[in-house]
Amino acid sequence: MAKVGVYVCHCGSNIASVIDVSAVRDFAAELPGVVLARKDLFMCADSGQELIMQDVRDGLVDRVVVAACTPRTHEPIFRAALERAGLNKYLFEMANIRDQGSWVHGQDHAGATEKAKKIVASAVGKACNLEPLEDKFVEVTDAALVIGGGIGGITAALELANMGHKTYLVEKQPSIGGVMAQLDKTFPTNDCSACILTPKMVEVYNHPNIETYTYAEVDDVEGYIGNFKVKIRHKQTYVDWKKCTGCGDCASKCIGKAADEFNGGLSERRAAYIMFPQAVPKKAVIDMDHCINCGGRDIGTLPKVNQKTGKLILAPCEKACPAHAIDRSIAYDPNGDIQEVEVGSIVVATGYQVMDKGWFKEMAPESPNVITALQLERIISATGPSEGKLVRPSDKEKPHTITFVSCMGSRDEHFHTYCSRFCCMYMIKQARLLKEKYPDLVINMHFIDVRSAGKDYDEYYTGARKMGINFFKGKVGGLEMLPDDKLRVLAYDMEGGENIEYVSDLVVLATAVELPADATTLAQKLGIQFCGANFFRELHPKLGPVETATEGLFLAGCCQGPKDIPDTVSQAKGAAAAAAVPLAQGKVRIEPIISEVITELCSGCGICVPLCPYQAISMRTVEDRPRAQIEMSACKGCGVCTSACPSGAIVLHGYKEEQIFAQIEALTA
Amino acid sequence: MIIDQEKINEAIRTIQEYGGHGILNCVQCGACSAICPGVKAGFPLLCRNLIRHLLNGQLEEIIEDSSSWGCQACNRCTEVCPQGVRPQEVVFAFRRYQGNQLAFSTSAVTSQMNLYETGHAVYSDPKELRKQVGLPEETPTSAFDEKARQEIQALINAGPMGELGLF
Repeated sequence: MAKVGVYVCHCGSNIASVIDVSAVRDFAAELPGVVLARKDLFMCADSGQELIMQDVRDGLVDRVVVAACTPRTHEPIFRAALERAGLNKYLFEMANIRDQGSWVHGQDHAGATEKAKKIVASAVGKACNLEPLEDKFVEVTDAALVIGGGIGGITAALELANMGHKTYLVEKQPSIGGVMAQLDKTFPTNDCSACILTPKMVEVYNHPNIETYTYAEVDDVEGYIGNFKVKIRHKQTYVDWKKCTGCGDCASKCIGKAADEFNGGLSERRAAYIMFPQAVPKKAVIDMDHCINCGGRDIGTLPKVNQKTGKLILAPCEKACPAHAIDRSIAYDPNGDIQEVEVGSIVVATGYQVMDKGWFKEMAPESPNVITALQLERIISATGPSEGKLVRPSDKEKPHTITFVSCMGSRDEHFHTYCSRFCCMYMIKQARLLKEKYPDLVINMHFIDVRSAGKDYDEYYTGARKMGINFFKGKVGGLEMLPDDKLRVLAYDMEGGENIEYVSDLVVLATAVELPADATTLAQKLGIQFCGANFFRELHPKLGPVETATEGLFLAGCCQGPKDIPDTVSQAKGAAAAAAVPLAQGKVRIEPIISEVITELCSGCGICVPLCPYQAISMRTVEDRPRAQIEMSACKGCGVCTSACPSGAIVLHGYKEEQIFAQIEALTA
Repeated sequence: MIIDQEKINEAIRTIQEYGGHGILNCVQCGACSAICPGVKAGFPLLCRNLIRHLLNGQLEEIIEDSSSWGCQACNRCTEVCPQGVRPQEVVFAFRRYQGNQLAFSTSAVTSQMNLYETGHAVYSDPKELRKQVGLPEETPTSAFDEKARQEIQALINAGPMGELGLF
């Protein structure tokens, strides 16, 4: 007969302010199988754990139920306490009376207390039927995958590689660098973005432990911590990168045109192009969506022969390439080539996009002189479309009055309710750079409020005021298009309580930071969860900021939430350190909460095989008869096979039939 | 100003009961006032500033202010508000409060008389203009429809507006 000990936690006031902890303890003490019930202010504190351990050591209890916060964060803590006291750690069950009790029923104390009693009874029912289980261990592949080649991914890859782990860095664009490569300078020190980023890009690309795959995407991920199988799709470049020297001759001869994404669509690039001058790797690609087959020859066909000279008639890009790296007779294949790699852990650093101005109908998005802040960044960058000269898009003339508008799509219930966090600072940076270069410029900045929390950030902001930049508290309500592509700004001075109207030559919108659509697709492949703001969800908002609910999968940078470069780099280093842990350990523990086939009961019907979402079940021959078997390392313990087996031949350890029925009985008693 | 929580609660409850449900959403960004034609015309207590005073609990202090009657009901504030306050509803709630307290602005008397007599709060004789552009001189509205006018007058007489004794 099991001897169950129940320990009810106050969780400070988190539980006790709603639930009558003493009543729950008294109720638990009377449950069948329970030999003692105690309560404590903090069961997870040293004294609380000691309470459990002493009862175990004294032989009073051999099953433990803790009624407290949540197993998500605290189950491992109590399991470890059992282990230290000499009891199998799987003889533990948690009753969640905080997340599922006091936190959601704060207005109904009596109801919450009754619910807590039921939850505890259910946990006790299960605990009476718990069996000891043994952890299992699997070997780890000593390699890591980093998805995304922005500053977050670059940093994480460098950290992992410098720790000695083989690292694959995958970037969908032809070059690594991410959004940071598009920036002119960086706050609060005004370092040139390219000057601090490009050395890192080169370092990653040349690192002996790093394989950098650009123009490539993660197609599929299978497996689990320590043993992920990753399919990487290399998009076809139609340029042999082994031969390409990055001279750009193909681009200069190409006549297929497309909006230059790197310049925020403010200029054109060719279908054959190098992403930007400092690209790493500096290699050309041919973008088949914009190639017009100008040589009179479709991609994937052999060149015609000139009847007179007998020479091959090549397309302009082929002819221009001095390295003979372009071969248009290669078959068109939008799917590209799949490469498989095996890694032990994965860091996801897929970054962000800024919202398009088209969403904001009140902000005259049809005017060429209404631009996003990222577009202004390209205008003032030396590598941008005007080579760093401040011009407005409509007539390439220098503007006299510039307006900055904050919170476009951020802190707005129509779009995103969160603050995008770094817009205030980059707008101030842009204003400062412009005021330094063009002191006569009138710069008006409109904020709901200036958010400049960060080391040296507020000084950077107050410094901008001293430079003669005009700050107004109050959100801009709208823009009106005027002749000569000027704009009337309808704003408001919160402090003075008056509305403001003036004519501006250029209006810069700080549009919200958000997750790109393709990142959502990737997250679904990886099994990443989303948070309320639709970014990737970390394991715990405070104590698990780089981990995810999937072991071995880590997050860095803006895919987890808006953050500036210093925060992204910090998080990337943290993610790399966490991702290196399983690689350094060499083996990982697998929880024994997995399914097992009882061969004697199996009829060999095979129903379970296609049902398993993890392809963990196969058929084998036992005494000339087919029988199912489950690969331990692939099983995730979902229980689908267990519930589907017509013979009841599959058990899910930790969730056996008698354990679940005991819970149901307790709940319905 | 003294912060008096009782007065703040009273003001918020009053406005919400009169239909200004979103008042607590306001973060005082001022976008509503930036595009408000009433603010532009110089009415001091519309949109952002009206909400500020109400959130400060100054309900009675501003009861005589006539700004709320300067609202043109264009509803642009609702369009630009990032927090779903629906400022126009707050302005109207305040008007209802003023009306119910019989604190009816003298500046609004003309428009109320217009409403009573023609069914339009803002009314000017349209005949000449309509004739110039080749439209029938009479508008297809209550202004030229005796039955519709009587219905409007019956509604006004039956409500708190009737108690004002204006008509």
